Amino acid sequence: MVELLSYKKFYDEPLKKDEPVSEEITKDCYTVFACRHKFCREVCPVYQELRNESYTSYGFHAALLSVSRGIESLGNMKETITYCLECGACELRCPNTLFGGDFYKRRTTTVDLVRKIRRDLIAENEKPNNWGEVEKKIDQYKKYYNSSPEEIRQWAKDLEIPTTGDTILFVDYFTAFQETVTVRTAAQILMKAGVKFGVIERPGLTLGELYETNFDEWLAHAKETIEALKSAGAKTVIVVNPHEYVYLTREYPKYMGSLPFNVIFITEYVAKLIENKKIKLTTEVDIKATYHDPCALNKFSGIWESPRKIIESIPGLEYTDEDPVSQWYNCCGNGIASFKELHPELSYRIGTSRLRKAADLGVQYLLLGCPHCKDQLSEVQTKSKINVEPIHLLEIVAKAMGLEV
Amino acid sequence: MTSILKYGTIDDKILEELRAIVGDENVFTEPHHRAIRASVPAPFPLHKWSEHTPDVVVLPGSTQEVSEVLKISNKYKIPVVPRGGATGLADGAMPLRKGIILDIKRMCEILEIDEVDRTVTVQPGINMQELNRVLEKLGLWFPDDPASYPVAVVGGRVGTGGWSLVGAFGGHVPDLVLSMEVVLPTGDIIRVGNGGGRKIRKSSVGYRLKDLFIGHQGTLGVVTEITLDVFPRPEVEFPAFFGYNSFEHAYENAFKMTTSGLRTLGAVVIFDEEKVEYLRRDDEAYIPQPKSIKSIIATVMYGTEAEVEGAKKRLFEIAEKDGAIYLGEELSEGDWASRHDRYALPLHGRRRSDWQVVPMTWHCEDAAINHSQLPYVRKRWHEIASRYIEQYDGVFDDWGMFMYSNPPFRPWGDYLTEIDIGINELALDEETWEAWVNMKREIAEVVIEVEGSISACHGGTREGDVEVCVRQELKDGQFELMKKIKKMLDPNNIMNPGKYMLDEAYQEG
Repeated sequence: MVELLSYKKFYDEPLKKDEPVSEEITKDCYTVFACRHKFCREVCPVYQELRNESYTSYGFHAALLSVSRGIESLGNMKETITYCLECGACELRCPNTLFGGDFYKRRTTTVDLVRKIRRDLIAENEKPNNWGEVEKKIDQYKKYYNSSPEEIRQWAKDLEIPTTGDTILFVDYFTAFQETVTVRTAAQILMKAGVKFGVIERPGLTLGELYETNFDEWLAHAKETIEALKSAGAKTVIVVNPHEYVYLTREYPKYMGSLPFNVIFITEYVAKLIENKKIKLTTEVDIKATYHDPCALNKFSGIWESPRKIIESIPGLEYTDEDPVSQWYNCCGNGIASFKELHPELSYRIGTSRLRKAADLGVQYLLLGCPHCKDQLSEVQTKSKINVEPIHLLEIVAKAMGLEV
Repeated sequence: MTSILKYGTIDDKILEELRAIVGDENVFTEPHHRAIRASVPAPFPLHKWSEHTPDVVVLPGSTQEVSEVLKISNKYKIPVVPRGGATGLADGAMPLRKGIILDIKRMCEILEIDEVDRTVTVQPGINMQELNRVLEKLGLWFPDDPASYPVAVVGGRVGTGGWSLVGAFGGHVPDLVLSMEVVLPTGDIIRVGNGGGRKIRKSSVGYRLKDLFIGHQGTLGVVTEITLDVFPRPEVEFPAFFGYNSFEHAYENAFKMTTSGLRTLGAVVIFDEEKVEYLRRDDEAYIPQPKSIKSIIATVMYGTEAEVEGAKKRLFEIAEKDGAIYLGEELSEGDWASRHDRYALPLHGRRRSDWQVVPMTWHCEDAAINHSQLPYVRKRWHEIASRYIEQYDGVFDDWGMFMYSNPPFRPWGDYLTEIDIGINELALDEETWEAWVNMKREIAEVVIEVEGSISACHGGTREGDVEVCVRQELKDGQFELMKKIKKMLDPNNIMNPGKYMLDEAYQEG
């Protein structure tokens, strides 16, 4: 796995409306402003729709630099800073990251900065339009969290999965209550391959919306999750939702150090099972398909190879690849945290652009590696009637294994 | 001299009218939207940020909207500064008199591809990478290849009279524009081309008015539609890099290469000794060479397989006969492929006294210089830079020089010559900004001394350059004529006022 951990501790100090911006933040923003060549702009899925450079990595860093110079006040950024999917493309494409970031320990960290500004503005009671939708979502997830153990495990009701084990399949509340097909499929694939695994009874909330609103509460939930995994006996944690994978591999270690178990993404695990002949793909799946790299996997975690390996091993499948670097430009439109609640129409536009790109390749199916992408693109497909069907690649694996899911 | 013009103030009524034209969602007045559009990549006086911050940002979506905005601006006498990709290095899109920033990036459609007559018609907000992604599916190529290839937009390339790295093969922007739709400062919409033809490449009819709207830096109107020449995609792109033991050694060999008569040569680029030293010291994308390599020539060839196969033998003979060392496929292909990322990083800035990293912005001072004058210009430019670095260590740094074959469709005779200077903008104040402007002035004066042109690719519109440009380079009647044309087309001086000192056209006394 590519090591992408880059933690700027000086982001932890909150920005306040009427106080000066620290020298470190100023320098951090200047390092992006000083480039001004704006590769970050072109790769941004929001920019590709709106063509407004205020809503780009350059725009955010330059805007905060203008706050540091007394030209703007922080509160005025509250709407602007919501126009970010937190997909991570800009910070990867930034020459500071590509050519010197690690060496100089000055990698561009736009997503962290956006998250920080949002959180600091909420703390200052500067809430953007539509904020009620985000609060509603947080409340909904708190209800999920407070549900009974039976409700939380409803998705697996007839599968008889234990609550402890060396290997734990990590199931977050989105996949337990909303996009349940993916995690159910994953569990059935693992069972058929003979993997012994458990699912913990009640994880903490991992919600991105909470992370960029109330850090302390989010961290308390994070600690609860880690504790639950530990007490279940986890040595290996398999993750199905790429957003959760990012929290477990990149965000939690920032605040808690390295975790006491290995974390592995489902496609890495399944690709190994196929390689080791534990999974046999025997049924022809006669479709034409391409693959959408989820932002949290491709841009944050450097995982793009294992999904392709899996797809290429499916018998009968005619695959058209779009390479992972070109896919830095793509996003399903859901974003990592509150984007869709705040900008539903824009989210839909980004989704339709993604589906059209796939349709241009002349395929019937767009294979996905992320339940959020599936939820979003299925909705977009239903509404737009673009003639490409989004489907999770695990569902195709199950078909090729002859599984009824 | 006093100005005979006074500008209006943008009040709520004018904002209402602008919103009625482009929609509420495309008019921005909050300070950060305006502040981030104050600068381009040229060194920016951060200590005077507010002076360059426009009053309002407008994002038009059509020719008609541009025309309506200009009519309002003309009526109320409000300055308008067009902004394209904002990757220019001559401050073309930096407001000098505030007013409206007309950000044209929403206008980014490909309107027509004509595979028979070999043209593409686009709106101004599309960039070359986006355009070529579509053209390549049809076996076509728009050969404009600036360093800012993935970010600069066609409208800005036209407005600055852009230069292409592979111009010796495919020509530069002025050679590739066949016709354009232009909105004049009064809001009138005209079309200029070769004669009246939209897709004609040569005509003897009328004045060459098309050229007036290429490189005007937004002072004469706004281009809203452009018909461009497109090439067949070359079968082969072949980069080859050669190493030399001194700049003089490379310089002599470059003469033989550029005058060889090889039509496939798309570019010949000399890296001087300071540039190679800088790359060796700091550029992570660069594959280091042995210390004996002090200077480099990068070449690239385009053409059919048969053409390039024959030509490359000849090129290698020319290089090897002079003792040049071929630097191998890895460097040649790798460095050529990464040419659009070959910007210096802010973190490559160094304070000479203790060699510490100081974040600096990269700036390229460019000029068109004849082959015979390159060694002299190189010596003088480095001397000038050293003097300022010595005085203001940690504010300025010298990142070496490139010399690129400059003419369109042929590589000989003159070079786009650039010295790359690092500038720590966070440390700028009145004194250091003045020092920077003086450094630029001195650099430009060397160009006048050798009868060059002070910019081959950016424009002569920046503080420090502009006086040299107007008072010295264009002194034999050209600037006088420019003022008359400006006043005729833009009676109220609304289009990018202050640029090229054209305010003087409206002064009396």
